[in-house]
Amino acid sequence: MSAGASIPSDGAVMAVDKLSVLSKQRRILDGVSLDFAPHSLTAVVGPSGCGKTTFIRTLNRMTELTPGLRVEGAVRYLGQDIYDPTVNPVLVRRRIGMVFQRPTVFPMSIFENAAFGLRLIHEDEDVIDAAVQESLTRSGLWDEVKTDLDRSALSLSGGQQQRLCIARALAVRPKVLLLDEPTSALDPAATQRVEQTMERLKQEIVLVLVTHNVGQAARVSDRLAFLHAGHLVEIGPTAEVLERPREALTQQFVTGRYD
Amino acid sequence: MPESPSPDSSGPPESRQPVPPAAAGVRHILRKVVPYVPALIPLGLTLAIVFTLLYESHLQNFGWAFFGFNFADYGIMIFVVGSFLTSVPALLLAMLIGLGISIASTTYLPRFVSAWLDPFVDLLAGIPSIIYGIWGYFVVAPYFGVNVWPWSVMHLGWIPGFGRAQFSPAPSGDGLALAIIILTLMILPITTLLMRDALRSVPRDLWESGLALGATRWEVTRRVAIPYAKRGVWGAAFLGFGRAIGETVAVAMVIDQAQKLPLNVYDGTSTMASLIIETIDSAFILTPQGVLYLRFLTELALILLAITLAVNIAGRWIIRRTFTEVAGI
Repeated sequence: MSAGASIPSDGAVMAVDKLSVLSKQRRILDGVSLDFAPHSLTAVVGPSGCGKTTFIRTLNRMTELTPGLRVEGAVRYLGQDIYDPTVNPVLVRRRIGMVFQRPTVFPMSIFENAAFGLRLIHEDEDVIDAAVQESLTRSGLWDEVKTDLDRSALSLSGGQQQRLCIARALAVRPKVLLLDEPTSALDPAATQRVEQTMERLKQEIVLVLVTHNVGQAARVSDRLAFLHAGHLVEIGPTAEVLERPREALTQQFVTGRYD
Repeated sequence: MPESPSPDSSGPPESRQPVPPAAAGVRHILRKVVPYVPALIPLGLTLAIVFTLLYESHLQNFGWAFFGFNFADYGIMIFVVGSFLTSVPALLLAMLIGLGISIASTTYLPRFVSAWLDPFVDLLAGIPSIIYGIWGYFVVAPYFGVNVWPWSVMHLGWIPGFGRAQFSPAPSGDGLALAIIILTLMILPITTLLMRDALRSVPRDLWESGLALGATRWEVTRRVAIPYAKRGVWGAAFLGFGRAIGETVAVAMVIDQAQKLPLNVYDGTSTMASLIIETIDSAFILTPQGVLYLRFLTELALILLAITLAVNIAGRWIIRRTFTEVAGI
């Protein structure tokens, strides 16, 4: 991934082009094309098994960790296909961060969790100190943990843990952050805090949110993509898709009449 | 008690008779007491063993010489040292190799390969120690005596303990180093098994989070998976150590039994367990010396028991502490 790459003229940080993912048995994703503009939050919704988790995992080559999956098409990050054989997946993942369904803090202190990605690239101690504070502030956790950064991260509540995971991903300054149902294991109050964090972050970087919760998508996203059985059925500004869906399937799903 | 699940109440309704109050009381007591019987077996067994050892030893007072190095004065230190000299290096080796095997199996090998290789670890864990002993005695010892030790004396002789003043005319491979090797192989399966299961219990999304931050598999293993599996690693260490220090037959077969401290790694020595198995016969001679020696051996057995228990308790304590650390409680 060339360091000098900038946002191409068409404005998309990331562009997905005719993306298909195939397992031995079936096509999980079939010819999905869409792109992600800077400073935006795109929510991907759809029923269980529609391929939305697979979709978000193709965006930073996490699909490769599942044996037997084959990816076709291209995912361009700043114009470069991340599936190009010359591209190192480790470097892709440093640029394109990810947060998972369940909080996945590591068994170490809060500080070390946030510093994890920076330690991998052997940053200086003072750089790490500053970056940890900055990323915890961006994820909205700093005020709650600033006095006990040395405590085990596992002592935090679920919602705090999830915001720590967001901070950990932010610390390496990714331009894109992928969120795979980040609030599905959280209670309503913690969900609200994470949603606030997402709304703040979308002003800085590209966020891609997979969620099964249409209400959440309506609250935080700028654009809404509806996936069904591996196909991208519809994508557009969130309010438009929710109020005037073009497709019958979308209509059924967003009004909760899907079965 | 009409609802009590007594045999009467399970019969047809017409034959149901009220249980006499006295019988109900007995049942009630039995129900309370019976669960204690199997539960108390381990405690009873422990007490019986300790009591037998204490009784057989007659708490014979051997004086301070007991904690000395002079076997002729009934000193135990040679054997205590011998036990630690064999089990500690064996444990370190088995932990290192076991960690390597378990990391390879859980992280690097394709799943179908590890699915084929893993059962062999489980299989090895079940091999009786006498078989390791025979194999060590007839196969490994002669090979090491002829091929490996001469090489190591020549090339590693500068390391203290690895040199030897002279070769014996017919080099036997038996001795401290061979006992360590056989012990390592014996406890390797159990340490590998426990560490492998601990590493396998690391949640998949924790792994992926590490990789999603741009870590390599090795970085995730070292910084996330092993710390997460710390409890299992400690458990493997303590269980392995318990096995190593208590192992008797296989060690006795390959240690080139001698009641002295070893001069170098090739030399013969004894562990607490191997001394007991080697000399228990002479303790049954009905002479005053025989009686005294039997008491000496039982007291040595008590010391071995105490060391094992102490390691066990320390292990539990460390594992509990590690667990609360990991759980953040």
